[in-house]
Order: sequence, then C-alpha cells, then structure tokens
Amino acid sequence: MFYFRLFATYVRVGILGELEYRANFWINMIQSALDLSVALGGLAVVFSHTDTLGGWRPEELLALIGVYFLIGGLIRTIIRPSMTQFMDQVRQGTLDFTLTKPADSQVLVSIQRIEIWRLVDVLIALPVLATALVRLGTRLGLVETAVFAVTLLCGGLIVYSFWLMLSTCAFWFVKVENIQVIFMSMWQAGRWPVSIYPAWLRSVLTFLVPVAFATTVPASAVSGRITTSTLLGTIALAAALLLVSRWFWRVGIRFYSGASA
Amino acid sequence: MEQDSVIHIDQLSKIYTVNEREAGLVAAMRSLVKRKTRAVQAVDSISFSVNEGEIVGFLGPNGAGKTTTLKMLSGLLHPTGGSATVLGFRPWERNRDYLRRMTLVMGQRNQLLWDIPVIDTFELNRAVYRIPEPQFRLAVDELTDLLDLEPLLQKPTRNLSLGERMKCEIAAALLHRPSVLFLDEPTIGLDVTMQRRIRQFITDYNMRTGATVLLTSHYMADVEALCKRVIVIHHGKLLYDGELRGLADRFAPFKTVEVELRNGVRGLPLAQYGELMAHSEGRVTLRIPKAETASVTGRLLAELDVSDLTVQDPPIEDVIEHVFNQSPDPLDHPDRQRPPSE
Repeated sequence: MFYFRLFATYVRVGILGELEYRANFWINMIQSALDLSVALGGLAVVFSHTDTLGGWRPEELLALIGVYFLIGGLIRTIIRPSMTQFMDQVRQGTLDFTLTKPADSQVLVSIQRIEIWRLVDVLIALPVLATALVRLGTRLGLVETAVFAVTLLCGGLIVYSFWLMLSTCAFWFVKVENIQVIFMSMWQAGRWPVSIYPAWLRSVLTFLVPVAFATTVPASAVSGRITTSTLLGTIALAAALLLVSRWFWRVGIRFYSGASA
Repeated sequence: MEQDSVIHIDQLSKIYTVNEREAGLVAAMRSLVKRKTRAVQAVDSISFSVNEGEIVGFLGPNGAGKTTTLKMLSGLLHPTGGSATVLGFRPWERNRDYLRRMTLVMGQRNQLLWDIPVIDTFELNRAVYRIPEPQFRLAVDELTDLLDLEPLLQKPTRNLSLGERMKCEIAAALLHRPSVLFLDEPTIGLDVTMQRRIRQFITDYNMRTGATVLLTSHYMADVEALCKRVIVIHHGKLLYDGELRGLADRFAPFKTVEVELRNGVRGLPLAQYGELMAHSEGRVTLRIPKAETASVTGRLLAELDVSDLTVQDPPIEDVIEHVFNQSPDPLDHPDRQRPPSE
C-alpha cells in the first residue's frame, strides 16, 4: 500500500515534469505512429507472399505487435528512464540521497522516473490488440483473459528483472549505458515470433535476453496456442529472475557501500 | 557518560581500495585485464562522542576523511574497523527507524528534482518519509518562514539560483524533522549574506528542535558562529577535539599583538619585536611567540610611544592553516592520497 502510494506520487510528479516539455508529447506521438506503420507495413509485405509465418497467422501476428507495443511502452515509460537515471546517480554520487531514505532502495530506484508521454505506445497497443482479437474471433473467456494477464505480467517482470540486473552492473563499472542500447536492439527482434528465427538466435532471445517471454508468450496466450508447460515455465522464470535480480541488487548495494566512495 | 551521547564512535576506520593506472594507452589497456589496486586509509581509528543538542564543527583539509566519516555515520559506507552508534543504531545497517530520524545534506550535490517545482520534491519526500499531511503542512510552513521560501516553492529547481537552491535543499532534508543532522559543506559556493542566512537557520533549527548537528565547512565564519566545539582531523587521524577557543591555545604557538602608535610607524625598527604581519599609518600587527608575549609587550610599551595595545589569539583561519601545515608529518605516510570521494 505504501509503495503503491509512493508510485502514485511519482506518476504525478512525472506528469508535472513532462508537462514542462510538451513538445515531447508530439514527438513521441509521431515516433510511435511511425513505428506502428513500419510494423504493420512489414506484416502486410510478409503476408502478401504467404499465409502463415512460422505457423503464425496474420491476426496472431497482429496480436503479437499489440503485445510488443504494450510491453515496449511500459519499458519506455518506467523501466528505461528510471534505470537511466539510476546510472546517472551512481556516476554523480546522488544515489546517496536514495540510500538514506527510509524505503526500499530497489523500489525507489525502479520507479523514480516516469516519462508519461511514452504511454502513447500503450495507447496505440490497445486498439491493435482489440482488432487482433476481433479478427481472431476467439472468445476471451475468464480463463483466457487470466492467462493472458498473467503472461503479460510475467513478461513485464522478466524484462524488468533483466534490466535491473544489467543496471546493477553500474555499481562496478559505472558506465553501462551501452548495455541498454544492446538490449533495446535485441528487443526489436521481439516484433516477430521467436519461432521464425534460426535455432541459435531463438535460444539467445529466450535464455540470454528473455525477449521471447515478454512478447511471443503473451501473444500466444491470446491466440490460444500457449501450452500449460510454457505458462508454468514463464511464471517460474519470472519468479526466479525477480529473486535473482533482487539478490544481485543487494550485492551491488553492499559493494557500493563497502568499496566505493 | 554515554547515556545522552547521540553519536558515539569508537576506533572507526575506513580503508578504500582504489584502482591505480599509469598514464598512457598501453597502461590503460593493461588495466582492462588486470587492475592494480592499493589501499588508502581515509579514516584512521578515530573516536569521539557528540551529545544531544550539540553543534559540532568537523574540520580538516580536503581529503582528511570528513566526508568519509559523515558517510559512515549516515549509513552509506561500511567501516573497515571500529564501531559507531547514532541514536542507538548502527548506521550502516540502515534501519528504517534510524533513517527516518537523521538527514544528510551535501552542499555539492542535489536531491531536488531538476524539472519540477520545489514543492513537488517536498511532496515526494513526504511520501517517502510517510509524513502525515498536517505535520507536513506545519513543517513546510515553518521552513518557508525560517528560510523565506515563499517565492521559490512554485518554481522549478532549474530556475533557482545556487543560494535559493541550497535553501530548498536544506528544507527538503528537514521536512521529516530529523533529530540528527549531517551537514557536509552546507554553505559552499554561497555569497556571504546567504551563508549568514543558512547559519542563522541552523542555529534556529537547533534551538527549536534540540537536534544534534555535525557539520563540515571550509568557512571559518560558519564554524565560529555555530560551533562551540570542533573536531579536527587530518590524514584520517583525530588531531583535536574540544572547544573552538582552545584550538588556538593548543596549536598556535603565537599571539597577535596590535599596536597603535602616536607618531606613526615610519623608521621604527619594528621587526625586532616580532614577525610583522600588517602595518598602516599608525597601526602595526605583530606575530609574537606565545612565551615571549609578556616581555615583548613590555618592551613595546617602554620603548615606543604606544597609544593602544591589544593582545589576541590569532584568527582561527590562521590557526587551522597552521595545524594542517605542520602535522602529522605527511612523510610518515608516503602511501596516503585523497580518497576518491573528495
């Protein structure tokens, strides 16, 4: 409850801060619209040649694009700005202020900056998902909706934990912004189902950089092609990564207060 | 003895491991693989206690270990050795109940968010510290009053001058009414008026709340105005702990004698009385070894036409400078260097 209220305060402050730079809204709007056009255009080109791609039908891929924008929007709204700010704080020493606060430092760091205009991606994702669902003709019952919600949540948590672990490296190496760039370019691969990629790349996208779990898995949930074992595996992975990243964060903090200045 | 000591530290030490690299590209490449490190002793078994409500000045040249000590006391650094308790807590365990009762202000770093109005950063701190609304209002009103924040609260931080920002920084750090304050150079870079303002505020806050304050500053005016007691450290070692006035007795082996002469100073062999520090038309300032003060003043009065004579301790700046320049002998510690934080 406390952290929820804290989050709400950060959202409010985020809105206030972003209102100072209103041009950003339009820039993001244009950028997101372009991204979506490219994604949909790619889809159109592919399906002018074939009916299925790696076993995925056009409507299913549309759902995937919806998920890709939804999760991507959340990454750009909260995770990326917060983690970028965290790295700045490590470099400038202002992380000290965060660490002297009577609240969980990981939570404080993870929600500290919210770029509200990036929610445009999320807004765009919703009609895309809705269209996909209508085209698919699947009735989303209670179970399907729940499964979809769970996979989305897990996908988000997996991406968050992964990103947190990358950022935590800043305690040792100080400058790790480039890792973020690498992550974002891997993320682009999530626009397509991982099953279309060659085996080695599929493994990379599944196990090394868990993009597959954030996009392909929720999208397959919505199109009813998810297996129980995949679902359970995703939940287990999300829980495990969350724990590991938290442990790693603690190690980082201990290092920060033990060795650095 | 320890029952009303709020801060108590005993043999506290901190050794940093710093990376070393020689200049040049080859050395830089080599350091990618294998890093040379060496130990730097930033704080070397210092001990002291501070009682409730005291304002203590923590003095030392750059790199003496002041900031390192403050960081250990505010829970940011683990010590390498020794122990410390503040309000009965071990700081580096970062107990929430401890963090809620202390604050750290660093004159060189900001916690205010750059793009949003000051009052919204306050609002964030309210959420983080879980300050109840009425208490928060009260604190904001009081701080606004004491620091003249009224015209600043609605402005984004980036539109504030350095002094205005510092006032807001301090206010933001005190909203939760901490009872222990660690102030690291709170007046750095501010103009004289603003420095006085901040000083006055610290005194007021201390009087009102009975808070304990440990403060570092390079401005002797701060220390003289605020601190009866000072702790001096140099090369990580404690050199002096006691009254500010006693510092001169202990470390300055000389007094300052100011003489006013009826017939001007021209042609007088003043240098034979002591080291000439300043002289103008009818006024001379001499530095005289403490032991000779009596005899020299006697001679001055007997041999010259003196209209006025005062004997004073040297200005505290000079004493401090003297302390830092003489001891401990840096040659004893060839491996010392500034810790990376300062």
